[in-house]
Amino acid sequence: MKPRSYSILLSLFFLSLFHCAAVGQKAAGEAYRVETVKMPQGLTAQTGGVDFMPDGRLVACFMRGEVMTYDLHTQAWKRFAEGLLLPLGILAVNDSAVLVMQLSGLTRIKDTDGDGQADLYENAASDFGMSGNYHEFAYGPVRDKSGNLFIALNTASSGDGIRSIVRGKINRRGRDGADGHAEMFSVVPYRGWVMELTPDGKLHPFASGFRSPNGLGFDPDGNLLVTDNQSDWVPTSALYHVREGRFYGHPASLVWRKGWEDRDPFNAPVEELNRIRTVAAVQFPQGIMANSPSQPLADVTKGKFGPFAGQLFVGEMNRDRIVRVMLEKVGGELQGACIPFIDGHGLRVGNNRLAFAPDGSLWVGQIGFGGWVGKSGIQKIVFTGKMPMDVYTMHLTRTGFELTFTQPVDPASAGDTANYKMRRYRYEYRKKDISEGIDVAPQVDVRDIPVTAVTLSGDHRKVSLTLGKLDPGYIYELKLGPISNPSGVPLANRLVCYTLNKLIP
Amino acid sequence: MSIRCYLTERHIFTGPCIWIALSLIVLLLAGCGDHTVFTVDIKATNELQYDVVRFKVKPGAKVRINLHNVSDMSHNLLVTRPGSRLDVVNAALKLAEKGPELNYTPPLDAVLWSIPLVSPGQTKSATFTAPDKPGVYPYVCTYPGHGFVMYGAMYVTRENALPDISGDMNIPESRRNDREAGGSEQEHHQHQPEASPHPYALTPPYLYNAYLEGASPASVAVCLPGEISYCWDETACRLQFAWKGGFLDMSDLWKGHFNASAKILGDIFFRDNTDFPIRWGADAAVPEARYKGYRLVDRYPEFHYTLNGTDVYELIRPGKDSMGLIRSFRIPHAGQTVWFFTNREDDAIEYQASAGRWDGGKLKLSPAEARSFSITMTSLHWVFKKKKK
Repeated sequence: MKPRSYSILLSLFFLSLFHCAAVGQKAAGEAYRVETVKMPQGLTAQTGGVDFMPDGRLVACFMRGEVMTYDLHTQAWKRFAEGLLLPLGILAVNDSAVLVMQLSGLTRIKDTDGDGQADLYENAASDFGMSGNYHEFAYGPVRDKSGNLFIALNTASSGDGIRSIVRGKINRRGRDGADGHAEMFSVVPYRGWVMELTPDGKLHPFASGFRSPNGLGFDPDGNLLVTDNQSDWVPTSALYHVREGRFYGHPASLVWRKGWEDRDPFNAPVEELNRIRTVAAVQFPQGIMANSPSQPLADVTKGKFGPFAGQLFVGEMNRDRIVRVMLEKVGGELQGACIPFIDGHGLRVGNNRLAFAPDGSLWVGQIGFGGWVGKSGIQKIVFTGKMPMDVYTMHLTRTGFELTFTQPVDPASAGDTANYKMRRYRYEYRKKDISEGIDVAPQVDVRDIPVTAVTLSGDHRKVSLTLGKLDPGYIYELKLGPISNPSGVPLANRLVCYTLNKLIP
Repeated sequence: MSIRCYLTERHIFTGPCIWIALSLIVLLLAGCGDHTVFTVDIKATNELQYDVVRFKVKPGAKVRINLHNVSDMSHNLLVTRPGSRLDVVNAALKLAEKGPELNYTPPLDAVLWSIPLVSPGQTKSATFTAPDKPGVYPYVCTYPGHGFVMYGAMYVTRENALPDISGDMNIPESRRNDREAGGSEQEHHQHQPEASPHPYALTPPYLYNAYLEGASPASVAVCLPGEISYCWDETACRLQFAWKGGFLDMSDLWKGHFNASAKILGDIFFRDNTDFPIRWGADAAVPEARYKGYRLVDRYPEFHYTLNGTDVYELIRPGKDSMGLIRSFRIPHAGQTVWFFTNREDDAIEYQASAGRWDGGKLKLSPAEARSFSITMTSLHWVFKKKKK
């Protein structure tokens, strides 16, 4: 989510036209089907959060402050709560309680009298600042296995000011100087931070350096993952593995970090910022993979949603796409690859929030709000049971990469080095040039890397690629040729980007 | 050598009401002859739109399009063959890794002319000869995501008039109808005042957490029966002000952009100017307040907060004939004298208490009295106004 201006939204009509025209683009083949959920009359369905209650009802929050439940069997929508301030996250606690992240705080909302409507709105956490800048969105919560909750606080937009009454102590060093740079800022506590709410009710600053972290999630191993959106100091959108005390790159939030109280983080030497930052586990090349990635969600359906159990799905706001992420641990750190999961097939733009229903379908909350390109509503993606023809995993090897496919591949096409076009490039961490557009993301050191050998495994499910050169610090972008399974079904997605931070030690 | 001149007739439809439709510019330069260049200046705006969504040229005319990017994003402009806009938008999305280097311009025959990506603040142009074949030639931004909404139509025609704009399917739907700035975005939007902006009826009491002028960004606005409303500040843990008349205009806040605030639609008749209304003990010092939330009691919020760690509950109802507010407090475990401070004299509010003793501008309550008491605040401003009628 970029601090973009208010946009006149898309009409359903034109989107449907678009998708008629988009038929023929066989992204995930017939393995997956997109269905549109009928929304209640009168709802502006700018979806800020979706989750499922233990009893199987969907619970969703919308920007005009509604929390609604949806019974999947009767298809009935029901109001659960109302009046919230631009809620952008929801977590079901039980069948009668949810946690909702409003701009002003995390609110525990309960129906205590059993009438199906909430009557208690408890302040679960609000110990963070608000300048009143329109872009100080708040995201989350997600819960770890020990019951700690994590939320993320957006920085303020350089396109807007602050209000005359703020919450929290102002530190003007969290805003850049008068040099005209369009940089997101943090003048009240913990904007640009991921915060941890421990079970004792205390909110702790956890990790800094975020710009617009519109997406939190865990991988199946319990690693906290947060996306961030490309622009100033975030040279391309990214997925971070977030750990306590670390800094992830956007300098504004540093003013709330020990040792930075009296410093101007925007004009700190870039070498120093670069040295103390933790790089992204996965980068999403701008204009290629995703421009506004949202929530990451691990596939914990144990096969109900198809073959990608344990991997992550990440919503993309700017186009009709859900991205898939394959992580691995190399040299003690997570890194990995991203690939489109589904493009088109009736999927709309504005893919903001994800949740798995008990039946294993993936529900997608969509939003068109402010300057975000998007359509509002909820859709679901259903696994039809037919095995997709796709890249299953991509692993780094000492000499290149190993690709595993979801199905055996035709040896002739899969064994041909001409069907593996690899290039590498990187996005430079730096202060954005003053005249550079906020969504300009230059690739540097772009270089074609020859694939010198391909070895196909005996079961025809894996190929090992040997590369002429393998260096850390680059995105390795692999464009696959017309590889198909033995019955001629081609790969659904042919572009994979691996963020190579570390070589295998 | 071409002589720059303007369109002999330029049909421009401009978008949200901040732009007034530009008038036709008629400027025929003598001797333009065959070298006349129809120059169209198109702005790419922050609303993800071209400000000019249609214009017409004669078949075979020389055309120059200047794309001025006045937005904070990058945009291009591709003129396509009639009916090919969506194919081109889709092909641009399919460029995948080639997109950035190709300026998201797919190498298709359907793309007739193009202006590459223009960064914010910059201008780039394309000059071409319009087709001899009359038709509607779309132009579109194919930056990922933008093609869904950002497009227009070049009419190549010898006709003098363009079709009625309200039915022009070649321009974005939002631009066929300019009744309000950006408000026509929602599927369920109604142009007349909406009965409810929600999927349920709004019957007072109801509330919004909202940004309001004159209070913390963390505030709750409550609409009570009888056209009376108040702002309760979560940060300060106090009633900040109350007003009579309409409730709130939430449209700016819900647009989610600069200076987003809910606007108060009534007249403020009370503003708490005390250091803090509720205080403890002999020194009556201003306590430390912590916000705990609220419970809906018959849909009225009962706010819960702590003052120096002691629980306080406050529920506000409209006063008799909506002339003020009745504030019901519960302090179950005060353990010491409780003071309720009112504003100084500069306040047309009459205070009445259900318990305790007034001592100047403050009410003194014993811990037992403080368990449950109410303060009735009557606005004499409104009472006298009513009597005058």
